[in-house]
Amino acid sequence: MTLLEAPAAPERPRAKNEGQLERATERRNRRTYLALLLPGLLGLLVSFVFPLAYMVRMSFNQGSPDGVIVETFTLDTYIQPLTDPYYWKVTLDTFQMGVTVGVLCVLVSYPVALFLARSTSKYRGLLIAIAIAPLLTSAVVRTYGWMVILGTNGLVNSSLTGLGLIDTPLKLTNNMAGVTIGLVEIFMPYAILAMISGFGRLSPQLEEAAGSLGASKFKVFTRVTLPLCLPGLLTAFLLVFVLSISTFITPRLLGGGSVQVLATEIYDQTTGLLNWPFAAALSVILLVLFGLIIAVYQRLTRKIGG
Amino acid sequence: MRATIKRKMAAVAALSAAMLAMSGCGGSSDAAKAGSATSGEVNLIAYSGVWQDQYNAAVIEPFKAKYPDIKINYASKRSSAEMLSALQGQKNSPTTDVAIMDNSVSTTGNKQGLFEKVTPDAIPNLANVPEKFRDKDGYGPVAMLDAVGLVYDTATFPKAPDSWNVLWDPAYAGKINVNAPPSLLGLSLTAITSKMQGEDYTKGIDGAVARLKELAPSVQTFAPNPDEYQNVITGQTVLGLGQNARGQFYSDQSNKKMGVTFPKEGTVYQINTVNLVKDAPHSAAATTFINYALSAEAQTAFAKALFYAPSVTNAHLPADVKARVVPTDGSLNIVPLDVDFLSSARDKWTDTWKRQIITK
Repeated sequence: MTLLEAPAAPERPRAKNEGQLERATERRNRRTYLALLLPGLLGLLVSFVFPLAYMVRMSFNQGSPDGVIVETFTLDTYIQPLTDPYYWKVTLDTFQMGVTVGVLCVLVSYPVALFLARSTSKYRGLLIAIAIAPLLTSAVVRTYGWMVILGTNGLVNSSLTGLGLIDTPLKLTNNMAGVTIGLVEIFMPYAILAMISGFGRLSPQLEEAAGSLGASKFKVFTRVTLPLCLPGLLTAFLLVFVLSISTFITPRLLGGGSVQVLATEIYDQTTGLLNWPFAAALSVILLVLFGLIIAVYQRLTRKIGG
Repeated sequence: MRATIKRKMAAVAALSAAMLAMSGCGGSSDAAKAGSATSGEVNLIAYSGVWQDQYNAAVIEPFKAKYPDIKINYASKRSSAEMLSALQGQKNSPTTDVAIMDNSVSTTGNKQGLFEKVTPDAIPNLANVPEKFRDKDGYGPVAMLDAVGLVYDTATFPKAPDSWNVLWDPAYAGKINVNAPPSLLGLSLTAITSKMQGEDYTKGIDGAVARLKELAPSVQTFAPNPDEYQNVITGQTVLGLGQNARGQFYSDQSNKKMGVTFPKEGTVYQINTVNLVKDAPHSAAATTFINYALSAEAQTAFAKALFYAPSVTNAHLPADVKARVVPTDGSLNIVPLDVDFLSSARDKWTDTWKRQIITK
């Protein structure tokens, strides 16, 4: 007797058994998924959720000039920065720095990413590895590298002075210009990676089709290539923007104490002035800024996607 | 088969979770808490960089030779404030035993109940620390002294500048580094400038702010990197603020390319205290270490290594070293910067620098 010839009558209990079996398997699967997720969730809880909750709670405490933290519940730590033009300026400068670095980084990384995404060379993998190789060196080392290159007696100034193009060295460090140059280079590998992975819809066939229908190369780029690249460009911008506004090392080292952004302010308040509640409040404000940007990003990507 | 694999995966997951939890909960064992005065370990928190190197060589290594059963674990921090942050973080369950830090910060630690009081009974060498270098409430005494100096490029200044006013000389515009507050160097410059302007900085610093605003455009960096000494040695700047002790050390290291001097208008002491952490896990061995740190042997060795002035009366320095450490006999013009005042002024002055003095 084959299975096809099996009588219909026993099917009902078997179906019931199968249903129970399926549900049991599902339950087991769920338990396994949960068990597999558990280490990650625990890690996230210990390393992110708890410290974040602690930081938020800390932001409602009262700091004092001599570093004593008074356990209380006050909004003073928020009222102070939100009503003080200085902190508005610091926040605006931080935002401006993030936008400038994000835009410049996307502009200089786009041609590289586009080339890598379209490359059919057998060395494509190697080329991508070279493009992201700077990530193997720490941002601190690369920032020090830029200090050497951009400094008063650095490579750029000595070359320009040697060529007789300038008499006095250009001020390329200890200001926002130096910080921007350093950050753009440091975040380029991230932008390239984000773009390559975001160029999924980019297809040479579509460009060829547009070309064969008479579109100029410029038109193909503006009407086909660029719109298809937009999700990748937006993701790269968001990534660089978020990394820029939260970065501390480069603004600190290349800014030379003249560049005040939220991250340097938080550092000074934490380690220099020991005002942890105020530093925590500034961190929460930075976090809210992140949240707003991500909300805008999601809207934009939905619009582009739709 | 599938069930077996799933069980194995679940077991691996549970094991990973357990290991993660264990790694997060690691710490010193309670058994070591009682401690012994001649064995075990001491967790020390102190400055990093050259300070750490020299303290290791001049004090910690000889200590280990004397007490081979005590291990010193040195946790380095860039500043006293960072040390205090670390100690605040472990207030409920301290892992540090001894902290060597600036007295303006240790005073805050004393107020916050982070440190233990010390007595000559437990630390016999405390008897050699004069009254003026002991804490009035019995907390950690002064371990060493230094003062803020003017760091200069010896090629530009074959003769050491004798006045702080050289910082305002337009000839050196763009070639000056000033460590802005909350750095103690910047706070000290504020007090010195205030005194130069004839005002009492405890009442107001308007005169100093106006004068420092004139200086700001000439300043190349308000946060010198890698530090205030290397900037001068490498020729990035020709003048700056610095500590005398490190300045003397780097002067030797750079073959006198850089010098450090105390200008006539006066300077501010930088004083380090040695502190026993409250509820220190190895307090007995820590007490032995503090006693050694206050010995004439350790104090002389560190003065020779990094030019810090000793705080004990029985440390006798060779004449060439004595000439290079900060005088503590009243012969140097000192601008007194009271630690209690400083702890309240630190954030105000830092704010003033950021809002009014530092220009883009």
